[in-house]
Amino acid sequence: MYRQLSQAEIEILKQQGCVAENWENVEVSISFSAEGISNVRFAGNIKLGTQRGKVQIDEGILKPATIRNCFIENCTIGENVFLSNVGSLINYKLGNQVVIENVGSVVVSGKSAFGNGHEIEVLNEGGGRELPVFDKLSAQIAYLLVIYRHNSTLIEKLKKLVSKYVETKRSIVGEIGENSIIQHTKSIKNVKIGPFAKIIGASKLVEGTIDSKQEAPVYIGEEVVAEDFIVLSGSKIDGSAILTSTFVGQGVKIGRQFSAENTTLFANSEAFHGEACSVFAGPYTVTHHKSTLLIAGMFSFYNAGSGSNQSNHMYKLGPIHQGIVERGSKTGSLSYMLWPCRVGAFSVVMNKHAGNFDTTELPFSYISVSDGKSVLTPAMNLFTVGTARDSKKWPTRDRRTGSEKLDLISFELFNPYIIQKIIDGSELLNKLHETTPKSKEFAKHKGVHINRLMLRTSKRYYDLAVNVFLTNQLVERLKDKSYSSLHEIIKLLKPAVESGCEKWIDLLGMIAEKKAINNLIELVCNEEIKTVENLQNGFVKIQKESAERSYAWSIAKLKALQNIDVSQISKQELITIVSDWKTNSIKFKNMILKDAEKEFDQLSRIGFGIDGDDDTENTADFEAIRGTYTNNSFIIGLKNEIAEIDSTYTTVIKKLEKLPE
Amino acid sequence: MNQEEVKHRIKKVVASVLKLDMSEITDNANFIFDLGADSMQSMLLIAAFEEEFEIEMDVDKAQEVQTISGAVEFISSYL
Repeated sequence: MYRQLSQAEIEILKQQGCVAENWENVEVSISFSAEGISNVRFAGNIKLGTQRGKVQIDEGILKPATIRNCFIENCTIGENVFLSNVGSLINYKLGNQVVIENVGSVVVSGKSAFGNGHEIEVLNEGGGRELPVFDKLSAQIAYLLVIYRHNSTLIEKLKKLVSKYVETKRSIVGEIGENSIIQHTKSIKNVKIGPFAKIIGASKLVEGTIDSKQEAPVYIGEEVVAEDFIVLSGSKIDGSAILTSTFVGQGVKIGRQFSAENTTLFANSEAFHGEACSVFAGPYTVTHHKSTLLIAGMFSFYNAGSGSNQSNHMYKLGPIHQGIVERGSKTGSLSYMLWPCRVGAFSVVMNKHAGNFDTTELPFSYISVSDGKSVLTPAMNLFTVGTARDSKKWPTRDRRTGSEKLDLISFELFNPYIIQKIIDGSELLNKLHETTPKSKEFAKHKGVHINRLMLRTSKRYYDLAVNVFLTNQLVERLKDKSYSSLHEIIKLLKPAVESGCEKWIDLLGMIAEKKAINNLIELVCNEEIKTVENLQNGFVKIQKESAERSYAWSIAKLKALQNIDVSQISKQELITIVSDWKTNSIKFKNMILKDAEKEFDQLSRIGFGIDGDDDTENTADFEAIRGTYTNNSFIIGLKNEIAEIDSTYTTVIKKLEKLPE
Repeated sequence: MNQEEVKHRIKKVVASVLKLDMSEITDNANFIFDLGADSMQSMLLIAAFEEEFEIEMDVDKAQEVQTISGAVEFISSYL
């Protein structure tokens, strides 16, 4: 509720150095007091809340509500704000307890959608996969928009949904949510700012949305320049970062002079020092080092070593080449890839590759260069302690503290998508083994050379991983339940959903059955999905059903690969499966332990104890820094997992043995 | 197959995989510290031994083998 100023109040304001184009256009809250308002020039329609309490400027620092030394035009100002030295504050609605101090201008000019609907050219620098960004964009919606260009109807309908949403955001008035703090910032134009945001010392923010929330505030720090952008909740951008046409997802960290252009960085990504250009970066894309240029690539759960570099310049008709780096992969220091390339999941790329390759069928590989050739060692990364550690750390590093988590993330290391890749890899290695003569040192496949000797061994590693995953599905169902007959077990093991060996896909972090995604796409194409919220809910529903579908897929695969039919399984078959599961699972964990041991071996100790007089001192120095193998928490965790496997085996076998014949 | 023959064939495989002269490979040479095998080469060695002796080894146990003499003992157990 607002009222006109009384004549007495106008006089007080004038005495306090305030000026208005027309005092009749300055409305105030019922309990308004002119105290604390000085040297303010009002223009246009103004609505002022009561300024009587205290405002928190920083932790432990409270100041009385104040509006001073400001030019304010067409604004609605909440209660108990602190506005001091603001060159221009035009066309904004401010929530309660907002602080704006030492700021050049905060202006909305014309009608703006605040970065919503702005198209960014991800993946293909030359365009063609333009992604309209908006403040409810999830990695999965983005994936459909960017990757499904073969389905023109889908793209058209999706863009229509996005446009409809964007229209709801268009306004001539901007918002600065309650408890937001903007200090020492030069210029903000056409930026919508959510509650509890902190913008401290930014240089220039133009055409954007800062979707801050109380439970997941956004921080924009010193010398940041951002144009045409969306920054979602819980993210932190500072250290002179420069963002142009960039979408920043939830819980992202950007800083130390990182620059990004035409780029997305979805949930929990981290980008420092380097540069990103036309990068379609899914959740957990991490680049920390100088001289790292990510360009025209799709990444997720990715770690860029220092000086990682790619180029898309092998073109004659514009920069059309792109790189697909599947989930969980890493690029080593000074590694280089010449797009187009496709790197299989959880692989490590080292050295400088001058040729193009596609290793999607060979996940968990090391891809290096020897004598100028790209050499792939399959399955090498299956049992490394790094892979095991990564898969455990990602869920613990989810920085999204808000209630709404837009990106749907499948954290598990093994799932139908990855296992199918491994099965494909095993079949491929078998074929290559059969067709590569012993006289050849290498087999060739889609741009990489594979040492012939590794074909059979790597296939065994792949098969071990598949076996552990599939049998584990059964053991998981059997371990905590009680049953007194085989009939009850068969009922327990029967999947709740119908599913064959359907294809699964990775939608930038979310693993899903392709059939389910196709159904969702059909709903979009038929216009049965009418809003972006409905579409997002569709993805959420698929993710909720995915555990049961994953189980059904595994059961179908067990039948297809090992002729195990759970609907007709015998007691003896179950005992054999559980025994094999135990043996293989422990073997798998032991191989990771072996790899972990290397972290404590003689080579790892080089450089420790440099002034030591004997091995005792050298060892003491190493152990003071790195600890010991036996005390390492990761090693202890792995050993506990092995003990757990043993204990589960004993429990399940006991129950199975009690069953009547 | 006697131990000497196993040792000779192991050294031949090691020389081929690690691109070394057989004379450089002593009986007690350590694959990593003396012969310079990295983790990928270690896996290649296991694969090469399997092919040479037409056996299938327990990989996690094979990885524990550090020296030529250890390899002789380990591989002999499969023959």
